[in-house]
Amino acid sequence: MASSRSQARLVVALAYLVTVMLLMGSCWLFVSNAGQLWPKGELHITKEMEGWRTDEGRVREFAGGFWHEPAFWRSVNLTVVTATITTFIAALVGIPASYALSRHRVPGQAVIDVLFSSVIVLPSASVGLCLLIVFQYGPIFELEKRLGVYVPYTLPSIVVVQLVLSLAMGMSVWRATFAGVNPRFEHVARSLGSSSWRAFRTVTLPSAKTGIIAGLILAWTRAAAEFGGVLMFSGTFAEKPLETFSPLARGLQLHKADPLAVNMWVQIEYGNVEYGFAIGFVLVTVSALSVYAIHKLGGKGYVW
Amino acid sequence: MIQIENLSIDLGEFRLRDIGLSIHDGEYMVVLGPTGAGKTVLVECIVGIYRPKTGRVIVDGHDVTDLYPEERHVGYVPQDYALFPNMTVARNVAYGLEARKAPRADVEKRVREMMDLLGIAHLDCRLPLNLSGGEKQRVALGRALITQPRILLLDEPLAALDENLRSGLAAELRRVHRTLHGTFLHVCHSFEETADVADRVAIMKEGRLAQVGTIEEVLARPADLFVAEFSRARNFLHGTAERIGNGCRVRLNGGPILLSDYGAFDGPVTVAIRPEDIALDGPAQAGGATSWPATVTAIRPKPTHTEIELDAGFPLVAHDRSAPGGPSLSVGDPIAVHVRAQAVKVFPRAS
Repeated sequence: MASSRSQARLVVALAYLVTVMLLMGSCWLFVSNAGQLWPKGELHITKEMEGWRTDEGRVREFAGGFWHEPAFWRSVNLTVVTATITTFIAALVGIPASYALSRHRVPGQAVIDVLFSSVIVLPSASVGLCLLIVFQYGPIFELEKRLGVYVPYTLPSIVVVQLVLSLAMGMSVWRATFAGVNPRFEHVARSLGSSSWRAFRTVTLPSAKTGIIAGLILAWTRAAAEFGGVLMFSGTFAEKPLETFSPLARGLQLHKADPLAVNMWVQIEYGNVEYGFAIGFVLVTVSALSVYAIHKLGGKGYVW
Repeated sequence: MIQIENLSIDLGEFRLRDIGLSIHDGEYMVVLGPTGAGKTVLVECIVGIYRPKTGRVIVDGHDVTDLYPEERHVGYVPQDYALFPNMTVARNVAYGLEARKAPRADVEKRVREMMDLLGIAHLDCRLPLNLSGGEKQRVALGRALITQPRILLLDEPLAALDENLRSGLAAELRRVHRTLHGTFLHVCHSFEETADVADRVAIMKEGRLAQVGTIEEVLARPADLFVAEFSRARNFLHGTAERIGNGCRVRLNGGPILLSDYGAFDGPVTVAIRPEDIALDGPAQAGGATSWPATVTAIRPKPTHTEIELDAGFPLVAHDRSAPGGPSLSVGDPIAVHVRAQAVKVFPRAS
């Protein structure tokens, strides 16, 4: 008994240590920003910051805080739009699939389990690499050629790679959620005259509401924070001139494939360290908020 | 009327073999058996959750074997009640009417009546999470009964309740059954609970029906040793039988001889005697009773009787139902035991 208590203490101490380290890291990100809220001085112009034909290596005056940079807002736009589309598709596919997997044993269940779980723990760059191989060679590439579409290094490729990762994340939550809903609820509902769809809609779905929302938040956050996979599968910018994008895509400034996480890395690579820090701070804040929201869900069953 | 014909199903470790059972209108039938006998699977086949491998389920003359649960019109109260956690008690009870698109005013009225009948009207706005076991059971009952199903299936409805509530709610089930003239099929694993509620009982063992009949029939003529054991015959003795007319004489392995009119058997047998069929002391009864001398080895007072352990060269358990203060015994007392020939149940045993 005593040993299990001291083990528990050790785990708690470790958890505190990790929390403090994370807090210090994010505080440092914040402090470094606070000092540089309006970082005057030089800003190295990257391809990502202006139109794709801009000369690289040019240096101009940094206008002010990062929120004055159009490139920042373009990046935010891109992140929010792609992550939202991704989450929508992930929910559309993942929620029914999770439900089916939690209620029926399907052939190859072990393979599905292993693949999906490993996607969560793999470095996402290797997931991006897998996708790159799948879409660059073999039957899918032949199909792409026949249809005249080419997925890697395009805007949709961001959604594709995000989808794989956030689907794995969301489904791990949704499957556990549905597995926790007593199947007898539906049996009773059907014995009372409900169709299987009505039973699902009126009983199972409301019972699973909290878990479904938590899965949506995690899926969205996973998509928005995606870096390695996007870098591998989508590159850092679209290899197409601005004019080839639709007016809507241009209006939303979607012609560059640099969601926030990628943009952060690019800025630091180009020497715009403060700017990179600022984006890092935004990402940490968004992740922390989403995890906090899930915590509140766990306690009271609603977010706000 | 529900008829189950030659029903067989395989579900991994659970299997049913050739179940044939019919439940008459207005009857309270109990399916009794130990854990793993396949009672719940049988109920789920009637509800329509599983499709049997062979056999048919017939409700009021209609073959429903291939119908979905929502088309069968059977009421179902599962083992854990499975109250919908996202709805209040009133919405739970109303669910079946709303699923069948009953007019709104009608729904409110009937829900009110059902909750009054079951004494749960005061709970209408509560969520199932905050109900006690007995309250949950009543809500589940109301939810299943509101659509006036052709049959109500109750899967271990009293198992989750504590001992004190159990007999009260068993009486409540009987009252509801009488009030609504319903047809009930109740699954349980306790013979005492069965005796409290059942018109007839179907005893299951390892996926087969061992015996179907009234409680009296099961007590008087258990079909096999398993039924005798399950209906609380406590004394089992091995011996060798010798046919005498319609009965037999059993020489027990310890030496004494027992008379039985249970059936004409020859060869190795096991004899079952119910504890209340062992008469203590007093004059030996006429009519082919067997008597032995014995010694009292333990006395255990119970609420309805006194359990007395005896040593007659072999261990015996007897129940003394005389009121406390009656013939008082103490451990070590010598006593004569008598067993009537009708009380000795004989089952052939593979040697």
